[in-house]
Amino acid sequence: MRNNIPTAALSEFVNEVSGNPEEGLMSYGIEIDWESGTRARTSTKPMLVGPHKVSRSFTWKADEPRQLMGNNHGPNPQELLLSGLGSCMMVAFVAGATAEGIQLESVKIDFDGTLDLRGFMGLGTNATVGFPEINYVINVVGDGTPEQFEELHRKAIAHSPNAQTIVNPVSLTGEIVSKQIDD
Amino acid sequence: MSNKPLYGDATSKPSTRNVGGWIKDLDRSRRAGPYLAAHPMDNMGMSTKAVHAGTHDDPRTGAVGTPIYQTSTFILHEETYGSIEEGFGRDRFIYTRYGNPSQWAVQEKLATLEGAESALVFSSGMAAISAAVLALVDKGAHVVAASDLYGGTYNLFNQEFPSLGMSATLVDSYDIDAIEAAIQPNTQLLYFETITNPVLKVVDIPALVDIARRHNLRLVVDSTFAPPPVMKPLELGVDLVVHSASKYLNGHSDLIAGVVCGPRKLVDMIWPRLLNYGGQLDPHAAFLLERGLKTLDIRMRAHEQSAMALATFLETHPSVDNVLYPMLPSHPDHIRAKELMKMGTGNVTFFVKGGDQAALRLLDHLHLPKQATSLGGIESLISLPFNSSQATMTARQRADIGIHPGCVRLSVGIEDANDLIADFDHALNAITDMKGAA
Repeated sequence: MRNNIPTAALSEFVNEVSGNPEEGLMSYGIEIDWESGTRARTSTKPMLVGPHKVSRSFTWKADEPRQLMGNNHGPNPQELLLSGLGSCMMVAFVAGATAEGIQLESVKIDFDGTLDLRGFMGLGTNATVGFPEINYVINVVGDGTPEQFEELHRKAIAHSPNAQTIVNPVSLTGEIVSKQIDD
Repeated sequence: MSNKPLYGDATSKPSTRNVGGWIKDLDRSRRAGPYLAAHPMDNMGMSTKAVHAGTHDDPRTGAVGTPIYQTSTFILHEETYGSIEEGFGRDRFIYTRYGNPSQWAVQEKLATLEGAESALVFSSGMAAISAAVLALVDKGAHVVAASDLYGGTYNLFNQEFPSLGMSATLVDSYDIDAIEAAIQPNTQLLYFETITNPVLKVVDIPALVDIARRHNLRLVVDSTFAPPPVMKPLELGVDLVVHSASKYLNGHSDLIAGVVCGPRKLVDMIWPRLLNYGGQLDPHAAFLLERGLKTLDIRMRAHEQSAMALATFLETHPSVDNVLYPMLPSHPDHIRAKELMKMGTGNVTFFVKGGDQAALRLLDHLHLPKQATSLGGIESLISLPFNSSQATMTARQRADIGIHPGCVRLSVGIEDANDLIADFDHALNAITDMKGAA
């Protein structure tokens, strides 16, 4: 169990998916309910690992700080975005290290990002609505060489689903189902 | 004779390391085992498998049969160091809580008999069931299971599941529509018994397989009442088979054990639960179970022969209201039994006239069957659900699951049919005379 990942099982899963691609299809879903003001509650839906259903009974809340008309009851959506990005990079980094036989002692990723709310507000400037850039530093201690860690960093980003979703255009399609109430 | 040391399954190797490589470069693939990949017996008959599969003569002395490896631990070696950190400790001899050659021998035999890629033995059927179920469910999970489950399994779902934040809906195993309707978004598992106790329903396993596949669920069945000569549920598409090996598999009413059989992928997911929850089978009990299994096929034939003869006799006796034996045309599931069961078993349930009091008197007049719970032993065992397995239920609750007054649960052993028939004839006539009835 190097890095607490069973390498043999990881290898067996990779080779299973290689022979049976259906086992590699992961389907996820969440539901978000507005609670109050800027606060909303997210619940995970059951996911599919290949054709097999897995219960995912997790909930968390997002909120904005009071300065942004919220109550600061939870991380805000930008922090959750960075968390989803960084946690995915972390899985890729650790799994990749394990596959190479690198023993890790600690890994920490430090993220920073600045965005200009004028985009959100619609003020007539050239400010982008989203993050124009995201910066991070990976601090790693382990028995790999600096060159190995540099190469592992490159591969972790190249194979991280969330990193690749962020850096590549992704189609966002949605619809709205509305019901008008008599007031 | 050979002095070649065995450190485990030599065919199981770590993935080769590719410095600078990625996950796709890992080259270890899953295979049957431990040991099974190297000893295929698929084309052989049930008795040949029962005798030879998994049984390995002592390599040092040539002693025939698997030695009893009565040890807690094993001398470490280059071949075993590293197997835990590489994640294939299940394929090496390290410590008996992880695995032991006596356990492996019986696991190889049971996997071969069930047509499974892998098997794990446990210190009881409930240890096997708990580990298998808990390996396949996650936080917040829901299970759909049979409403007339074995009491121990019922307690797992009723007493333990809520404490773990999980839930189960129990449904009549005959009601396929209700089973499907009970599936919730968080349902992960269907859990049923192939033949139920005590009314011996033969459950429509192919229909359950169909539901499980359509809803992306796993299906686990307890086939204690239908050992491999009778039914091989994995061939029907079930994901995992569990047994109380204390019953037909061991067959001699002299040990407590359990087993899980299935694909290597799922059994490897159960192995960490075996380690975490405990419940390993002691090497001596593993030896006894392996020895008992060698006669499984011929024992089942003897059980069936005596049970069929006795059930046929009971059906004709005026003091008996009704007999439930799946191989008799009178059983409500007879057609399905003929489809799903390769042979009958020793379990016969019948209802005597005069209700539970008459049944109690019957037991007192019988000489051969032992008044005891359990089943599948070479000796006939007899008990009454109303004061044993279903004693905590009301008469109405019992009737709802088919246990009407006078219900007798009989596990026919391998005694000669004529002796059993004579014993039952005598006892039934005795209680009839006492009642003064015809």
